[in-house]
Formats: sequence, structure tokens, C-alpha cells
Amino acid sequence: MKKFRYTLLTAFVFGLMIMTSNTAKAQLTDGVFPAAGTPSNPKVEATWNHYYNYQGISELTERIAKAYPDLAKRTSIGKSYEGKDIWMLTVSNFKNGNPDRKPAIYIDGNIHSNEIQGTEMSLYTAWYLTESFGDVKFITELLNDKTFYIVPTINPDAREHYMTEPNTGSSPRSGLKPIDDDGDGLVDEDQPDDLDGNGSITQMRRKNPRGNFRAHPTYPNMMVRVPDDEFGDYEYLGSEGIDNDNDGRINEDRVGYYDPNRDWGWNWQPNHIQGGAHKYPFSLPETRAVMDFVMERPNIAAAQSYHNSGGMILRGPGVAEDISTYNRQDVQVYDAIGEMGERLIPGYRYLVVYDDLYDVFGGELDWFYGVRGVFTYSNELWTSYEMFQSNDRSATDSYEFNKYLLFGDAMQEWTEYDHPQYGKIEIGGFKKNFGRAHPGFLLEQGAHRNMAFTIYHAYHTPKLTIDEISEKNLGGGIREVTAVVTNSRLMPTHASIDVNNNIMPPDIISIEGATVEAGMIVTNRDLNQTTEQKFRPERIEVANIPGMSSVTVRWIISGGNNYTVKVDSQKGGVVSKKK
Amino acid sequence: MKISVRVLSLTMLVGLFFIPASAQAQTGYSSYSELTNKLKALNNANKNITELTSVAKTKGGKDVWLLTIGSGDVKNHPGIAVIGGSKASHILGTELSLRFAEQLLSTANTEETKALLASTTFYVFPQINPDAATQYFNKLKYERDGNMTSTDADRDGFYDEDGFDDLNGDNFITMMRVADKTGSWTMHKDDPRVMVKADADNGEKGAYKIFSEGRDNDQDGKFNEDGEGGVNINQNFSYDFPYFKSGSSENPVSENETRGVLDFLFEEARNTFAVISFGPENNLSDPLKFNRGDASKRVVSGWLSDDITVNKMVSDLYNDITNLGKAPSGDPQQGDLFQWAYYHYGRFSFSTPGWWTPEVKDEDGKAQKFDNDHVKHLAWAQAEGLDVFAEWTEVDHPDFPNQKVEVGGIKPFTMMTPPANILDSLAESHTDFIMEIASMKPTVELVNFKSESAGKNLTRITVDVYNSGSFPTASQLGQRNNWVRRVMTQIKLGNNMSLISGDIQDFDRSIPADGSVTKTWLIRGSGKVTITSGSPMTGFSTKEQTIK
Repeated sequence: MKKFRYTLLTAFVFGLMIMTSNTAKAQLTDGVFPAAGTPSNPKVEATWNHYYNYQGISELTERIAKAYPDLAKRTSIGKSYEGKDIWMLTVSNFKNGNPDRKPAIYIDGNIHSNEIQGTEMSLYTAWYLTESFGDVKFITELLNDKTFYIVPTINPDAREHYMTEPNTGSSPRSGLKPIDDDGDGLVDEDQPDDLDGNGSITQMRRKNPRGNFRAHPTYPNMMVRVPDDEFGDYEYLGSEGIDNDNDGRINEDRVGYYDPNRDWGWNWQPNHIQGGAHKYPFSLPETRAVMDFVMERPNIAAAQSYHNSGGMILRGPGVAEDISTYNRQDVQVYDAIGEMGERLIPGYRYLVVYDDLYDVFGGELDWFYGVRGVFTYSNELWTSYEMFQSNDRSATDSYEFNKYLLFGDAMQEWTEYDHPQYGKIEIGGFKKNFGRAHPGFLLEQGAHRNMAFTIYHAYHTPKLTIDEISEKNLGGGIREVTAVVTNSRLMPTHASIDVNNNIMPPDIISIEGATVEAGMIVTNRDLNQTTEQKFRPERIEVANIPGMSSVTVRWIISGGNNYTVKVDSQKGGVVSKKK
Repeated sequence: MKISVRVLSLTMLVGLFFIPASAQAQTGYSSYSELTNKLKALNNANKNITELTSVAKTKGGKDVWLLTIGSGDVKNHPGIAVIGGSKASHILGTELSLRFAEQLLSTANTEETKALLASTTFYVFPQINPDAATQYFNKLKYERDGNMTSTDADRDGFYDEDGFDDLNGDNFITMMRVADKTGSWTMHKDDPRVMVKADADNGEKGAYKIFSEGRDNDQDGKFNEDGEGGVNINQNFSYDFPYFKSGSSENPVSENETRGVLDFLFEEARNTFAVISFGPENNLSDPLKFNRGDASKRVVSGWLSDDITVNKMVSDLYNDITNLGKAPSGDPQQGDLFQWAYYHYGRFSFSTPGWWTPEVKDEDGKAQKFDNDHVKHLAWAQAEGLDVFAEWTEVDHPDFPNQKVEVGGIKPFTMMTPPANILDSLAESHTDFIMEIASMKPTVELVNFKSESAGKNLTRITVDVYNSGSFPTASQLGQRNNWVRRVMTQIKLGNNMSLISGDIQDFDRSIPADGSVTKTWLIRGSGKVTITSGSPMTGFSTKEQTIK
């Protein structure tokens, strides 16, 4: 008996040990303890305090797709000008329905090639969703219901150029198709030159007792304009460069130049009205690839296009000429989601492009909404608010932040240079990875907060349920079947621009397995007000199922007992319910 | 398209009595294969001055042909694009474009033409929507403008589900009139064959409903609203794009045809200074009027004043040469080629239908007055002995079970397609017109070259950059557009010479017709000086001088 007890105890202790070690394996590996909200033991190792180049993007997207074949699929939506694949990850629970028929959000980054962190926001989103599925209930349900089409960079050529070639924080912005900017018959022949060889295009200044700048007393790297009635010690000579083509001008034909975010086919205007426009809408291979993809995915109900910088959550219209395109019901949806964004991402403001920023004809977000009726935001990532988490901002903040938090790493100190046109000058200033791009230690936070906003955005794409199927015998061999379909999220199945122009086909509420004599939409159930649909009554066409609302349809049937009611909505997905 | 058995048998019956002659021989209009063969023949016969390329493959597998005509550095001589068939049912445009090329090349061996082609380039696109144009040559004729891209023209989720039906079996799609008290149409007082809206304001009552010929195949209450195809290329250009309209695509410049033409014009044909197109739009027999409000908008929607002046000059010329008389309204269409060429391409854009119903003379030889274009057309056809009308004939129509339905009306194409016997003279006058435009092309010359000593070892050089053409070197609107090249003047100096003053490279947005700008440089040293000036749209002129 004693022996038996002992054995039992041994077994228990041994079992406890196994259990403990198993539990430990799930919760505490290689010396870490999970922090709330972050995948603690990811299958795909990834770090979020640096930027991925094209090779890095290719590898990471492939690793995610390989690690989670039931959740992520990698495809190329097309080739860039230079022939690089534009990688996309489709993220959804593939075991729960066709991802192309679920309400979806489209996310891209980096349309402006220097605005690099949209790529990391996108990659982080794909990584977080796949790593959290199964562990986090909300994410599991989200991927059961929704699809995320994530394109980390839609300007891969020029992203690489930004990283590997000399640039400022604001260049190239364009893609890499060579353009004759100055009209001399040559293309890209006078670009900025990295005279000091540090990989960044910074500024040139020259000592000049009649100049109008002087060094800041506390932060001598900062140039301050002197009062109008004083002379300073320096003059500014512009971005680092020389007159490469001997035409008497410096840096006048840079890489590119066009603006891919002026290439979209809604209220597109040519370059003399909208600077940066190329030949015609979708005349660039990258934007055309996105357009072709989106045209084939009517299930896309929401979209996010990441830019930098300024801490903004932008919606259209891009120009005052389009004010009437965005009507009240749709603006209410935009406002509800946008205002949540302001809460989730401190320092970011929810704004309207034409009103609060500047005019943009032919921009991406207006095309998504105007041509496809897709609720779309552009987040302008990174704001100087994030440096000291304060709205009390000053021009010296960047210099102070660089000094005390980056320990000078963002700055090229002024150094002397002998310039062929300007003579003795000095070159210096902020490096290209500071000013617009997140500093490393803040990148993961930015990614998580912006992802949280796009998740909220995606969550509020339509979710349809069939709440009720009820039957009433009318006598004489006919019965009345009433079905109630509810959309339990903020977005309608058809934005008002969609309803007004029939962009997407109507939502079809159909009955199968019954002999249908008549069909109608019930506009007021209590007062029995209906609108009959004469043709094809078994499939009732509903123009829209608004957000947080229900529609009611009714059939008069003369046969069938085991019928099924089915809702087929391009943006609301497919649901069905047996009687 | 659904054709009922009854209609089919009717067609066969009619066929016994109506034996169509060879359509090709009779019409004089070139089908796609004839056009292709003729262009290939032209290219083969003139290899040194022509190049035949396909700028796009259509969904129907056809080529959008471009015949480039010119010699030497063709991309840097002022160019004229001649474009037909943007609105595909306007098949006259294809014929006029093709015959322009034929007539020009028939004189290829003359010194005059050789000189012209050594300084001018012609880009001839006779038919930019060949898929749709084919309908004219098919047995069943209707004015089709949509290409082979399948579209949901009525945006109901179904594609190409309700096309025309030839109910009376005459192989023409015309109209249906349905006797119905609630209809608002009535017969025209001068010609009861023509249906017009009743003048309700003056107590007139309608007695008919009017539809195009066919069934309501999809039972949606609309007739023939979503037939086979397609995108109308003349609605697919980027200016004032008609979103969500039947015949438009979802997106501007979505079609292979449109993109092929635009990519070529933007990237390859930068030297084009004028686009001459044939289609419904008309600013040739009747020039555009200046509208200050439209011209001053941010999104410019009216021609600028200097360009209006040029339009007037060219229109006068057109009327002198073609003598076609007053045309019916030829207003621009949303998304058309004509407006794109001016507003987005920044070039001078001229368009004409090429032909319209001529005047009908009374016994005294005076032009008769008409208040309706169809009545006029029928009167003219009657005087010419032409059969352009399908008489109203009653049919049984299943969509109107208890009503009298008649099918009839002006036959398709006849309003804009003249009889073949006048094609030669029409083509000649339009060729003359295009040649006249070519003779007026902007041309930069360097004149009044002067070099003078300006002190020790210093020379001042002066030259006038002169535009000897009758067109400015760029349209007023084009001066704002980066795709329109400015006139660039460059100076190159020999070794041991240096530029003391003046620009190595200088740009002028535009030089007016018969206008000039003066350039001056101060040079140190002696040797060869080379000055080059021009743009692809004006040609380049070079002056070389040795300074001693």
C-alpha cells in the first residue's frame, strides 16, 4: 500500500514536471516572459526596430506564408517598372470560407518611395494576425470573417533606391521610370550627388558675411534665419549636388519624376493642373497592378494606404470639386472610424485631404472611394508629437531629440567641402532616415497602433446575419415567408456613391427549395408596406444593407418546406440559413 | 442577342426577295481586312518613307494600325496625327484617314512631297476601334461603338444580356414605335415617317412610345440597354471621363486601343503639333467660341483665347477647301479623343465629321429650310434617289401583347456615311486640307546671326530664333503642359573658348507664328560656335560659325 502510494506520488510529481515543462515551453522560452498584446513565441522571427529592404520583404512574406499556409498566401500582383514582383499577402482563415468572398480590407504602403514605414506597418499587421490567430479570440474571429490583402510596398524599385542610393528623407518619392524633367532631351541627367559619401543627401551652406542664416546658439547644427534687418554668417545653397550636365543648373533632373499618388483614375488631371501626374490614369505599372487587382476583388470594402508623415488619418475628397461625392451617411461612417483612430494613435488627427492638407487630383484614396465605393483612409505615419509626446512643439525639438534620445545618430555634422561651382562650402544636416521615418525604438509602437486602427477599420466592414426566417400560412395553399437580414457593423454593403451609381450589383437575398409565387421588399413590417419585385422574385435585389441596420424581405410560396435563405453581397459576403 | 424562331424564319423569307450585292464592292468603304491589306501595300510600296506598326491588339484580336509617313529624323520634325474611327460607327473617318495616306503617297516621287516628308511627319491611325467598326460590314447592321470588352452597360450585375433584336428581319436595327396614349411621341408635320416629341407646351398630344428595335430580353423594363460589348473608345479618354455611363469603362484609358494610341503619342510622337480627327465632334466647319469662364477654371474646360484664334484661322481654311456648308451641331462628347488632344495632350486638336446631309435645293435652286435633321436627310435622300429609310411595318411584339408595334426608321449609318460615289472628292478635299495644315507647321529658323567684337578677345553673338510657320510653336494651353516641349536653344563652344555671358541652354515656352526671340552671348576666345534651336514639334535648326 505504501509502495503503491509512493508510486502514485512519483507519477504525480513526474506528471507535474512534464506539465510544468510543457507549460513553460508555451509561456517562457529562452528567458522571456510574455508581454500583453504581443505574440510571445512567434513561429516567424521578426523584429520591428529597423526597415526591410526588398530582399527582406521578400523573405519575410515568404516565411509568413510558409509558416501559416492556412492563414497566409503570398502572390505577386504584378511587376514594377524595373521588373520586381509586387508581393501581396492574403491573410484570412482559409479553412473558413473563400477569402475572396469575405468582406476585405486592402492595405498598402510605400506608394511614395521615401515614405518607407508603411511597409513595416503592413508587414507587422500580417505577422501579428498570423501569430495571434488561435491565441487571441478576437483575432481568430476576425480572420474567420474577414480577409486582409496586404501589399507591403507598391513602389519596390524606388524603395530600394531610397535605401541604397544617396537620398534625402523626401526623395525619390517618385518611381524609377526615367523622365526628362527639364525638357532638354535627356533623362535623369542631373541628380543630387552624395559629395560627402555618407549615403544621404544633406544640405550645402557657405560662409558669407552677407548671408541670411546663422547657427543656433544651443544646437549649432541648426541653421536659423536672421531677422530681416540683419546679416547672418551663412547662406544656404540647397541640396547636396553639382551641375552634372553643365547646363548652369544644379540637381534639376532628378530620379523619376512623377508622383504615383497622382496616377489614379478618379478626377485625374494632367500635370499642368496636378503636378506629378504622369500620362494618364494608371499609366504606371505599379498603380495599374493595384487597380487590376482591386477591380477583380469586389469584396474589398475598406482600404488603407500608408504614407508619411505628420500624424494624420486622412480621408477624401482630395479636391473641393469632389465635395458632393462624399455624402452625409458615408461621412458619418468615416467619422466614426476616423475618430476612433485619433484615440488609438495619440498625436494623430483625423482630417480631410482637400480641407486640411492640400489639393490632390487623381489620388489613391479618392479612386478607391469614387470608383469602387471603398471606405479608405491614408495614415500619414510619424509625427513630431511622438518625440516628446507633447503638443507643445518647437523647431528645436528634432535637434534636442537627436541629441538626448538618438545621441547624435540622425545628424551629419557640417563638414567642409570644395565644390566645383560654389568653391569652399560645408555639407551637413539630418540624414535621410530621420524626420519622416520612425526612429527604431518607436517603430514597433507605431506599427501596433496603426495596425490596431486598420483592424478596427476592417472589423467594421459589413457583417451580415440572417436574424429571422418566419412563416405564415395565408390559406389556399400559399404561405408567406419573411426573412430579416442584419448588418451588425458600421459600414453599409454599398457606400452611397455606390448606391447612386450602381457600382456593385445589388445584394441578392434568395430563397432556395421553395416554389416562389411572388417576392417583395418589406419597407415597413408593422404597416405591411412592401415593394414587389416582378421579375425573378426568388432572388430579391436589395440596393443596400446599411450599417447597424436590418432589411426585411418576403416571399409568397406555394411549395417547399426545407428551404434555405441566402444572402449574397459583394462587400458583405455570403451567408445562408435553413428554415 | 435572342432572335425568336419566328423572326428567323421571317429573315429567311425576306432573303428570298432581297439578294444583297457584294457589300464590299458596292460600299467603297474598307473592311478591317481590306484596310489591313491596303496599309500593308502602301507600306511595301513606300518602305523608305513609311512604317506600319500595330500600337495595340484588341480583345477581338485585331491590330490598331499606325502608318508613320516621313523621312529622315521623323521624331524631330513637326508632326500631324490623323486619327479615324475613335467613334467606331463613324466609318467615314477611317476611309478619309486611309485615303489621305494613299493620296499623299501616290505623289511620293514628286520633289514637292519629298521635301514635305523630309520636314514633316504624319502619324495616320485610320481605325482605332476596329472591333466595333466591323459591325458596318456584318450582315446585321447597327451603329456599334463598343469594342469586344464585355461590359455591364446597365450595371445590373449581368453582362451583355439585352442586345438588339432584328424584329422585322431586314438586317437593320432601327426603331420601334408603340401606339400608346401615354406615349409622348408623334409624327412630324412635314414628314410623318419621322417621329418627334409632341409639343405638350402648345397643347399637342403624343400617341406613341419609341424604343430601339428589340426585345426586353432580361425583362427589366428597358430595351436593348446591354448588348454585346463594349467600351466606346471615344468615351475612354481621360478628359471629362463619363463615369458609370453606358459605353464607358469603369476606369479611364482602360482599353488596349486607348492605351496603345496614347502611349505612342506621349512617348514616341512628341513632335505632334496637331491632332486631326474624324468623328462627330466639329470645330472645323464651325470654330469653337471663347468662353472666359470655362477657360479660366482650375480644371480648364474652354479653349484659351490664343488657341481660339488659331481655331478660327484653321476653320476658315477648312471651309474654303471643303465647301461642305453649315453642319449640324458637333458638340464634344465626354471622354472623347478630340477634347483629350487639346486639354490633356496640349496639342491643337481639330475634328470634323467629314460629311453631313447636304443642302436640299428647291426649284429656284435655293436651299430649303428644315426644322429637323431627319426630315432634311430624308428629303435629300429622296432627291438623290437613295434608300435610307426602313418603312414602318407592323410586328407582333411579345413585350407589347395588345398593342400595335411598328418597326422602322432611318437606316443605321446613313446619316454620317455618304454614298461611295462621293468618297473620292471628299477624300481629296480633306487631303488638301491636311496638306495645307502641314504647310503651316511651326518651324524654327535661326536668322539674323551677328557676331561683333566686344573688346579684347571678346565676341558678342546675337541670333534671332524665328518661327516661320503659321502656327505658334506651342498652343497657349500646351505651354503649361510638360508633355509639350519648349523651344530649347543651346550654344556649344570650341576648346579654348568660354562663355562670359548668356545661357548655355535656354528655353522658350512658345514663339508665336511669324514671331521671334533674340538670343545673345558674350564669348571669350576663338574657334567654332554651334547654336542649335528648336523642339521636336518645330524641328531643329543649327548655325555654325567660326569666330576668329
